[in-house]
Amino acid sequence: MSDSDSDDENFILYGTPLDPFEEDEVPSKRKFQQPADQYAVDDHGRRRFHGAFTGGFSAGFGNTVGTPEGWTPSSFRSSRLEKAQASKQKPEDFMDEEDRSEFGIAPRHMQTNHEFSGRKRPRAPRFHDGPIPGEPVLEQLVRAVHETAAVKMLRRMGWKEGQGVGDRVTHREKKKSKEQHKVYGCYMPPEMRQEPTQSSDSSDSEFEYETLFAPDDYEPYILQKKSDRFGLGYKGLSRHSVLGNLGGDERSHLVMKEKGKKVSIRGQAFGVGAFEADDEDIYATQDMSHYDFALGNPAEAKTSKKNVKAINVIEGFVKATQPMPSVPAYAPPALPRDYTPLAAGTRRSRFEPTAAVLHRDQGLGRHELTAEARGALLGEVPVPKTPIDTHDPPQTTSQTPRQTEMSKFLQKNINFISPNTETVQAKSTPDFISIKDSGKEQVAPIFKPFAGDPLKQSRYEMYLRDKDSVMLERERDADRLSEWERNREMVEFEQAAILYRPLSGAMGDRFTHASEPDDALNPLCAVAKSSINYGLATPEQVEAAKIGAYGLITRKESAWRPEALVCKRFNVPELGGARVEPKKDGKPNVSYSIFSYLESSVHDKESFTKEQSKFGGSKSLNFENKKDTSLPSKEKHNEVINIEKDKVSDISIDKPTTSQVIVSNTNSSQEGNKRMTVVDLFLKESEKDLQTKQQGAEVTETIEKFDKIDLYKAIFLSDSENEDINDDDTTAKDKDDNDFIVKPKNIERNTSPPRGIFANIDFDEINAWRRPENESGDNKTVENNIQTKPEETKEKTIDSINDGGKEMTGEVEQEETYGPKIPENLKKRLESAAIIEIDNFKPIFTKKNKSDDDNSLSSSDSWVEIKTKSKKDKKKKSKKHKSKHKKSKSKHKKKF
Amino acid sequence: MNDKIDLSTIETLSCKQQVVRAVRFNIDGAYCLTCGADKKIKLWNPYSKLLLKTYGGHANEVLDAAGSCDSSHIISGSADKSVILWDVTTGQPLRRYRGHASSVTCIKYNEESTMAVSGSIDNTVCFWDVISRRQEPVQVLKDAKDTITSVQVTDHEVLTSSVDCHTRLYDLRVGKMLSDYIGHVVTFASLTHDGQCYILSCADSTIKLFDKDSGELLNTFSGHDSKDYMLENAVNEKDSHIISGSASGEVFYWDLVSSTCTQKLVHSNKKPVVSLSHHPTDNYLLTACEDEVKLWGVPKMEE
Repeated sequence: MSDSDSDDENFILYGTPLDPFEEDEVPSKRKFQQPADQYAVDDHGRRRFHGAFTGGFSAGFGNTVGTPEGWTPSSFRSSRLEKAQASKQKPEDFMDEEDRSEFGIAPRHMQTNHEFSGRKRPRAPRFHDGPIPGEPVLEQLVRAVHETAAVKMLRRMGWKEGQGVGDRVTHREKKKSKEQHKVYGCYMPPEMRQEPTQSSDSSDSEFEYETLFAPDDYEPYILQKKSDRFGLGYKGLSRHSVLGNLGGDERSHLVMKEKGKKVSIRGQAFGVGAFEADDEDIYATQDMSHYDFALGNPAEAKTSKKNVKAINVIEGFVKATQPMPSVPAYAPPALPRDYTPLAAGTRRSRFEPTAAVLHRDQGLGRHELTAEARGALLGEVPVPKTPIDTHDPPQTTSQTPRQTEMSKFLQKNINFISPNTETVQAKSTPDFISIKDSGKEQVAPIFKPFAGDPLKQSRYEMYLRDKDSVMLERERDADRLSEWERNREMVEFEQAAILYRPLSGAMGDRFTHASEPDDALNPLCAVAKSSINYGLATPEQVEAAKIGAYGLITRKESAWRPEALVCKRFNVPELGGARVEPKKDGKPNVSYSIFSYLESSVHDKESFTKEQSKFGGSKSLNFENKKDTSLPSKEKHNEVINIEKDKVSDISIDKPTTSQVIVSNTNSSQEGNKRMTVVDLFLKESEKDLQTKQQGAEVTETIEKFDKIDLYKAIFLSDSENEDINDDDTTAKDKDDNDFIVKPKNIERNTSPPRGIFANIDFDEINAWRRPENESGDNKTVENNIQTKPEETKEKTIDSINDGGKEMTGEVEQEETYGPKIPENLKKRLESAAIIEIDNFKPIFTKKNKSDDDNSLSSSDSWVEIKTKSKKDKKKKSKKHKSKHKKSKSKHKKKF
Repeated sequence: MNDKIDLSTIETLSCKQQVVRAVRFNIDGAYCLTCGADKKIKLWNPYSKLLLKTYGGHANEVLDAAGSCDSSHIISGSADKSVILWDVTTGQPLRRYRGHASSVTCIKYNEESTMAVSGSIDNTVCFWDVISRRQEPVQVLKDAKDTITSVQVTDHEVLTSSVDCHTRLYDLRVGKMLSDYIGHVVTFASLTHDGQCYILSCADSTIKLFDKDSGELLNTFSGHDSKDYMLENAVNEKDSHIISGSASGEVFYWDLVSSTCTQKLVHSNKKPVVSLSHHPTDNYLLTACEDEVKLWGVPKMEE
C-alpha cells in the first residue's frame, strides 16, 4: 500500500480545487472566474443585472431584456369603444414582483402609519455647525407639542400622568396587583420583591378605610441592551473607578441574601471558582487600587495605609506620599525707594508740588554727574565767572598725565581731553554758556582726531593755534610731504576744526544774548536790543560809524555763494567749478547726518573762501590772501594752480569762467559809471575844483565822461582800485594782476580726474619738470604756463592752436571772451586769417594793465569802444526785452 | 529843473483795510497794490480810484507785496509767516511758501520775476523759485543777526537791510557779500535807479546815502521824524530827490545832492506816513497813512 494512495483516499475534499499552476506560469492575482459566476441572478436563475445598453437593472417586462421576447412596447390602440387613453406609466409597471418583495426596491407590506409609529421624528437631530453650535434655539422654541395618538387615546380613557388606566381600586387591591406583577422574562426573586411592600406597610394604617385609588401607572421596565459577552451583572475592571468604589448607589439587579448577610451580585470581577476557597468578601469590588504596585513589604504598606487612614483622611482618600510639586513662588516686585502707599482712588491735584519728579531719574548714572562733569565729558570749556579769565593761554601738551587719565576714564573711540579738569573741580561755574567767548576757545579742549599719526596731530594742534604759522611750517615739511598731500591735509584740518569744536562754539554763531526780555506786544523792542549789540560789529566798526567814517572800516567783505538755481533764475553765470567735492548726482541727499552738515559747513563762507584761495581763488576773495603775502607761499599757490590746471580735461576757454564774470562785472561797473547820473549830479554841483583841473575844457565828451569816472573813483573809491587804473606799474603790481587774472580762471575749473585722452598723461611729472622754470624768477605768468601746457601734452585741440596764436599776440586772453561761445569752425577760420582779426572778433576787454606798451590814452580809447559796443548790445537786448514785456503787458493788461 | 513844481494830491484812496502796511506801484506804474492789516491785498488803479481786485487768503496782516514784471502774478509776504504767489486775474493763491519761521516783512521779485526774495523777522532772506513747484526756499541767507527790514533786488544783486544795523549786498556775479555797518537800525534800504547808491532809512531820524562800491557815506538827510516807525524811503524817477515819510504825517522831499529839504507834502496830521512808492518813470508818488492812500503828482492843468 502506497502512502500516497492511502492519503488521497483519507482526504475529504470540499469545494473545487484550484487549477494547478503550470510550471512556468506566473500566477495572476485575479482569480479565474467562470462566466456564469460573473452574473447575478435572481431566485429564478434569471439574470438580474444587464448592461446599460441592454436595459440595466432587471430590465424589461418580466426581465425580458436579454431574451428573444425582449421589450414588448405597448402598442397604440384606439377604437370607438376604447379611446386612446393617455397612458400613465408608473414605476411599478417596470418592476418585478421581486422588487416589491420585502427586500426589493419597492417593498410592499403592511406597516404602521407614520403617525402611529410611536416614534416621532425618527431622524436624528442634525445640529448645525454654523456660527452658533448646538441645537438651533429657534427649533427648540418652535418644537411642536405633539402627542402621539396612543397618548391621546389614553387620555380619553382617563389616563393621567402618574395614574394608571382602569377602574379605581382599593389600596389592598392595588397592593395585590403590585405583587402579582406581570413580568416579562424571569420573575424577580421574592426577596427583592419584598422591599416595596415593606416600605408601603407604614402607610397601610392610613388607608384602612375604603378609599379608591387609581391603579399605578405602568412603569416601563426598560431593558438595557447587553452589548458585551460577560456574564449577567458582570462588569469588567473599569478604569474609571481606580479611585475606589464610587458607584455606591449603583444597584445591581442581582442581589441575594445568604446566611443572613446581604450579598449583592454586582461589581467587577466577582465570582469564585468552583474549587476556590471562600473569600471574606468575594463580591467586594475589586479595582486597581487594591493591587499592590510597589515592591517591598506589603505588610508595611498596609500598616502605613492604616496609619494614614487613622490620621484625618476622609475615607476613600489616601494621603499622598509625595508632596505636590510646589508652584514656583515669585517674590513680590520691589517697591521703589520713595514709594508712598496711596489709596487707589485718590487723585493728585495738579496744584500739589511734584516732589517725586525731582528724584525720578536718579537711577541713571549720567544724571548723577554734575554739570561740570558732563561738560568735561563733552569737552566744553568751563566758563569762568569773570570774562577776563577766559583768555587763558591755551594749554595743550603739558597736561598729558591728566589727559590720559581722562581718556582712560572714557575709554572710547573718541578721546576727549579736558585740560582744565582741575579748574572744573575747583570752580563752581555758572550754568550758562558764554556765547561770545566760547567760539574762540576751541583750542583749549583738544579733540584728537589724528591721534594715530602723532606728527599730523601736532601739526593739527599747531594749525588750531595759528593757522598762518602752519602755512610757514609747511614750507619746512616740504620735503616730506608732497604739495598735494599738504593741501589735502589743510582741508582735513579745517574740517576737523569745524567738527570738533565744542558745542557751545558751534551754537555760538546762531544765538545772541537778549539784553531785554522779549515783549511780544511791542515788536520794536527788538530794535533797541540789536542796536546795543551792534549786530556783531567789531568795536572798530562801531567807532568808525560813530564818527561817520564809513567806508573801508565799516565794510566787511565775505564770500557768498549763490545757489546754482538762483544764478540760473537771475541769468547770471554760475560761480562754480571751484567746489572740490563732487556735485550731487541727481538724487537729493536728505540725510541729516553730522557728516552732511560737516561737508556743507566746510563749503560755506570762510572755509570755502579759504579753499578757493588755496586752489586758486579769485581776487574778489583775496581778503584772505592778503594774510599770506610771503613770496614762497604765493609760488606754492601757483603750483597748486598748475596741478589744478592739469586736471582740466575740458577746453577751459570755451567755458564761461569767472574771469569773464569779473571782467563783465568790471565792465558793468564801468557802464554803471557811465550811467552814473547821481554822481554826475554830484560832480556838477560840488564845488571841488579838482575836476576842472584834471579835465581840460577842450576834451571831447566821451573823454570827459571817462574822466568823470576817474574823478568819481578818485573821490569815492578806495585806493586799491586807483592803482588798477594806473597802467604802467611795477612788477609787484604785475604780481597782483597775475592773481587777478589767474585765480578766477581756476574757479571754473573742472576738477574731476583726467578722463579720456588725458587719462594716461602723468601731469605730475610734467608739472615737476615745469616747476624749476617757474621758480627761476622768470617773470612768466602762470597763465602762460597754463597756455603752454596743452602744447606739451601735444593735444591737437583747437584751444592749443588758439593758444599758440595767442602766444604770438601775447595779449588777449581767450578766457576773457564775453558773450556766446564762438563756433569752432569760425575759430579755425579766424586762426588762418590775420591775427588782428582775431582781436576784432574777440574785442573783449583786455586788461589794461596787461598790455605793457599801451599807454593810458589808448586804453581809454579801448574803454570807450567797449563801452559803446556793449551799450549797444545792451540796448538791443533791453529793447527786445521791452518789446517782449510790452507784448506780455498788453496781454495782461486785458487781465487787469 | 521842473522838479520844483509842487506836487499835490491827485487822488485819495480810502482803502478800508484798517491800516495799509505797504503801497506799491506795479512794474509800469499803472496800478498799485495795497497791503492791509485786514489780511487782504487790493489792486487799484490809483488814477481812477478804481478797486480792481481783492486778494484774500493770508492768515494775518499782509506786510509787503510785489507785482511780477508781466503783471500776471503778485507775490506777498505776511505776518502769518507765509509767502503767497497770487494769480492776478483769478485772485486765487497759486502757491504758498512756508519756509520762514516768523513774519515775512518784505518781498521782491527779481528782474524777470522768476524768483522771489523775501526777508523775515527770523533773520533770514529766502529765495523762492516761483517757476517750479519747489516748495522749499532755493537759498536761505542767514547772515543777518536780526530782522530783515527790507530787500531790494536788481539784476544781479540783492540788498538787504536789517535791524542789526547792517546792510548787506549780495552780488551773484562775483559771489561775495558786502556788509556795511551803519551804526543805526536800518528800517529801509533802496537803491538809486543808477544802482550806485544805497538810500538807507535809519532809526535815528536820518536818511543816509551811501556809495555802493566803497561803502562811504555820501550824504545825510534829516528833518523828518522816524520815531519807532519802519519808515520807507524812495527816490524819484530822475534820481534827483529822495523822498521819505515821517511820523509827523508829512512827506519830505530832499535834494539828493544838496540834502536840503525842497518840499513837504502834508498827508495827514500827526499820523505816520509809513509806506510810499514812487512811480518808476513819472512824477507820481503814492503814500500810505493808516487807511488812506494818496496819489501825488503834478495836476495837468494845461489839458
